[in-house]
Amino acid sequence: MKGLRIAAIGLALVAAPVLAGNKLIPAGQPVAVAKSVLTVTPSVEWNKLGARPGRNSETWTFDGDALNDLTFYGGIEPEQTLFREVSKRTKPLPRVKATMLVTDIPTLVENSYRIALDTPLFTVEGMEPMAFAGKPGIRFTYSFTRPNEDLPRKGEGRGAITGGKLYLITFEAPRLHYFDAGVAAFRQVANSAKL
Amino acid sequence: MAGWIIAAALAGAALGAGASDRLAPLPPYGTAYTPTTVDERGLWQQADEAERDLRDSPAVVRDPALNAYLTKVLCRSVGEDRCRGVRIYVVRAPVFNASMTPNGMMVVYTGALLRLRDEAELAALLGHEFGHFEMRHTLASFRRGRTIGDIIAWTSVLSPYSTLPASLIQLHFSYNRAQEAEADLMGLRYLAAAGYRPLAASRIWERLMAEQDATALGRKRHVTHRYSAGFFADHPTELARATYLREAAGADGERGDDSRDAFLTAMRPWRASFLADQIKLNDFGGSEYLLGELAGGQWTPDLLLTRGELYRERGNPRDLVSAAQFYQQAIDAGCTDPIAWRGLGLSLLRGQQEAAGRAALKTYLERAPQASDRAAMAMLIGEGGVQ
Repeated sequence: MKGLRIAAIGLALVAAPVLAGNKLIPAGQPVAVAKSVLTVTPSVEWNKLGARPGRNSETWTFDGDALNDLTFYGGIEPEQTLFREVSKRTKPLPRVKATMLVTDIPTLVENSYRIALDTPLFTVEGMEPMAFAGKPGIRFTYSFTRPNEDLPRKGEGRGAITGGKLYLITFEAPRLHYFDAGVAAFRQVANSAKL
Repeated sequence: MAGWIIAAALAGAALGAGASDRLAPLPPYGTAYTPTTVDERGLWQQADEAERDLRDSPAVVRDPALNAYLTKVLCRSVGEDRCRGVRIYVVRAPVFNASMTPNGMMVVYTGALLRLRDEAELAALLGHEFGHFEMRHTLASFRRGRTIGDIIAWTSVLSPYSTLPASLIQLHFSYNRAQEAEADLMGLRYLAAAGYRPLAASRIWERLMAEQDATALGRKRHVTHRYSAGFFADHPTELARATYLREAAGADGERGDDSRDAFLTAMRPWRASFLADQIKLNDFGGSEYLLGELAGGQWTPDLLLTRGELYRERGNPRDLVSAAQFYQQAIDAGCTDPIAWRGLGLSLLRGQQEAAGRAALKTYLERAPQASDRAAMAMLIGEGGVQ
């Protein structure tokens, strides 16, 4: 009996990843993301992580979020931050503003990352207009390095502001191999976005 | 009671053994200095490893002119023979800080360079860090900490309810604060000996306090300046440092050279990028204070441009009006950076002044035809792109 109980406890510990809520996203089916009306249809399987960067966001990955990180931000309202603040008191994050233009989205991402990751090594490489879910939107590319890590990372974002709310999808991965390997799957997901 | 007796016995044994320190007579900055004791060797080994990591970090600013200038100031301040034992690394980080490891690696943050006003202040900062190195502070603090840790461990075994550990922990932190004060005064002596203006050392701390107040007010927090250091503080308060440095500078603290022009010339190529890093911190109050300090009543085009960016990024409707004014003032004062027209256009557009905003963005694209955001700006003007 006692052995059974130990086995049960052991099983509970082994089953911990299930409790973390990571989930397989099947290919070819429309799925609503980031607790919002934003819907995408991936053409390959992704893994959804149980941990969310913020209230209205969610992260998908192939190999773990350190290697490829696709994050959806679904309708961030004015005066809200992009993701959870590290410290509201000492390191407050910039907030979405009602007056924001789509060209201000890359700056919001840049400043939020600089503060949250504590790194000045973040550069917006370029931006161009590109429709997002049928709305006038923006596509931008960036590069950054986390502190205490010499690994250069690349990122790409697609977003729009509609009804005063910010919708955004970002993909980031190490510049070496992982970005180029995963970016096509990200672009397919971003192109399939519907609001 | 038992705890105190044990403590006294152990402290006597430990500190007594360490009193002679068995250190080599050579100073640590000497040529090919080899650390002698096992503790010192260990610390140097760790520091060497940290230095190898830092040396390859993308955060290090490798510009030869900037690095040569810092080395020159350090050498003037502490002397040619001493400064050869030090390698200075400028690290890109928009906060006020500098540090020193026992093996002679000095790290200066770009945020510190942005906040210093003249060469005398830079010399005070470098002299302070050199003081830690010269007096082997890391080693002394490490040994002291270990002895205190031993005493606490034995006391808790032999006399579990003793209050001794709390007072020993306090002793440890106050020892670290004493080291900081010692390095401050050492830096001040170097400053005076090199002919720099001694009062420069205290001014750094006075301005830093004012900036922290501005940051707190900008974030709608209470201003919480402390008059005495907290229990766990490893540095004296800024107020204490400003006060004892001003007193130590003496009556003729203003006498001496501050080499302001040489400092400003060395920093000129860097100020724009240091400022850009600063205003991306979402610290409106602190950044606004810093810009006002740097301007000192004379707003130059680069400071006006940065102030425009700061206000535009906060982005309240009234901020957008102010931002547009600052960009316009920068342009009127002779700013030729196309970014000014970009900022002006974006502020006006966000402030719903469409026609004027589009005109400014057009000027931006005329002045920067190769801009990486050209297509996005053209979309805002209404020329092509996906609407």
